[in-house]
Amino acid sequence: MEPLETFVVESAIKSEAEQYKEILSDAISDLVLARAIGRIKVVIRPEDTVFQMAMVLRGSQSPVKTIDFAHVRIGAYGKSGVQIEITNEHYLPQLLDKLWAKYGQGNVRQPERKTVNVICEKPHDEITVIEQMVVDDPQRTLNARLVDMTIRVTPEGFRVRHHSLEGNHFIFVATEDVMKQEWIEETHRMLEELIGGKISGISV
Amino acid sequence: MASVFEPYIYEGGIHKHGLILELLEDLGGYLIQKTPAATEVTLIMLIPEKDVPLIEDIAKKLLGKLTKAPLTGTEIAVVSPTLAYHHLPHAACDVAEYLRRGGANTNMIGLARGMGRRVALSADYERRLINEHDLALFVFGTFSDCIINKKPKLFEGIEVPIVVTGGPDLQTEDVPNADLYIGNIGRVAHRLRKDTELNALDTMSEKVGALIDRTREEIAKDPLAVLPARVMKEISDQVPDIQHVMTPAPITLQLDGLRVKLPYYEYHERVENIEFDEGPLLSEIARVTPSKMKNYLLIKIQHKSEVGFVI
Repeated sequence: MEPLETFVVESAIKSEAEQYKEILSDAISDLVLARAIGRIKVVIRPEDTVFQMAMVLRGSQSPVKTIDFAHVRIGAYGKSGVQIEITNEHYLPQLLDKLWAKYGQGNVRQPERKTVNVICEKPHDEITVIEQMVVDDPQRTLNARLVDMTIRVTPEGFRVRHHSLEGNHFIFVATEDVMKQEWIEETHRMLEELIGGKISGISV
Repeated sequence: MASVFEPYIYEGGIHKHGLILELLEDLGGYLIQKTPAATEVTLIMLIPEKDVPLIEDIAKKLLGKLTKAPLTGTEIAVVSPTLAYHHLPHAACDVAEYLRRGGANTNMIGLARGMGRRVALSADYERRLINEHDLALFVFGTFSDCIINKKPKLFEGIEVPIVVTGGPDLQTEDVPNADLYIGNIGRVAHRLRKDTELNALDTMSEKVGALIDRTREEIAKDPLAVLPARVMKEISDQVPDIQHVMTPAPITLQLDGLRVKLPYYEYHERVENIEFDEGPLLSEIARVTPSKMKNYLLIKIQHKSEVGFVI
């Protein structure tokens, strides 16, 4: 699936839908979500006070472990330490955060840019623990950005909300009145159309 | 009396700008606001009509720019449904910025519960605060259904002229109780910089200027007992504490009065007792009341028909 291969905004008046599409584009580009979203459809009916959005995300990213970007071995401190040789500095801040939380700031030393030494009791056991430590979860941060984007693009007064995220499929319905089951079902149908690649209705 | 002064903005280097101020004082004009920014300075002035060429000459010599500022001496409330990121910083701040370029002083007012359709409402305090201004400009969104059918309930209790901006291209008559509607400025999440957006802002400035001119004409039929700019000068001279107020516009001019950014209970007597060379005290020709904004002083000048004379 290409990034944003389907991007449809629907409303009763075409020019208003076009303007709303711009708001969505701005939010998507501000939060760097363009590559994460495959297909998106939004329907706004101000006269019924409802905002519906269905989205198909592009493939999920797996969590990053220490072993993915570093070599972990018995360190220069003999048997009481572990040495981590970093190959990709991108994840270094997150790694240090995790190590500080687990071993204490005093026991984690960084003698040079790409080397981190951890002082611990049983280094042989700790090597595997550190190697398998989840340092960053791109899917989690992506979901947080997705939620942010959803709240930003929803009309402000629409505070009664329903959402569902299953795998790569996301739906969101918002209103300021009592939520109707039919709106949620409608949005599920929108999602099915998106998954099938067939979009019905007037679109922009 | 108001018609003999012309509002202008001078933008130029800070070097020797004192020459303009000296000349302005000699000519009997008023400096409304001075905003220095590093090596630049912006002066908002009221210049006697026949003496404008003199100021133009000196501005030319100093390589500065003198432009007409039709909104000078007005205080405009830019009202947004709330202060959430749905409305700010764009478009509400961009709208306010354009009004300031026209010489107006703007106050951004975010209602506490102005969002939504059925649930939108304004509080008594908010309405009173908005009514202290010369004009209220409501910044609305994209949908004509909301602007026509739901949002006008926010205008209830607003007594000053109402301007509405929104996305759809509507007529003023379509929006109940609005005095002016300006389209193509809807909800946007980026800085207004495209030509259509900038054109819409220019149109807005122009139309708001025309609306203000109409209000000025209304006032001119029964003129104010004293020019607000004159009161401003007297306050600066007779209440020296105003020099220590750090807000950008310590004395804000309005079409029919002023807002003085000093605490009411400490200063109202001193302000009421300001003397004019012609004889009267300020309290005899104006009403000094506490403002809804931070307990400042709000002065509303009475008309000739109420006091019987103009100074």
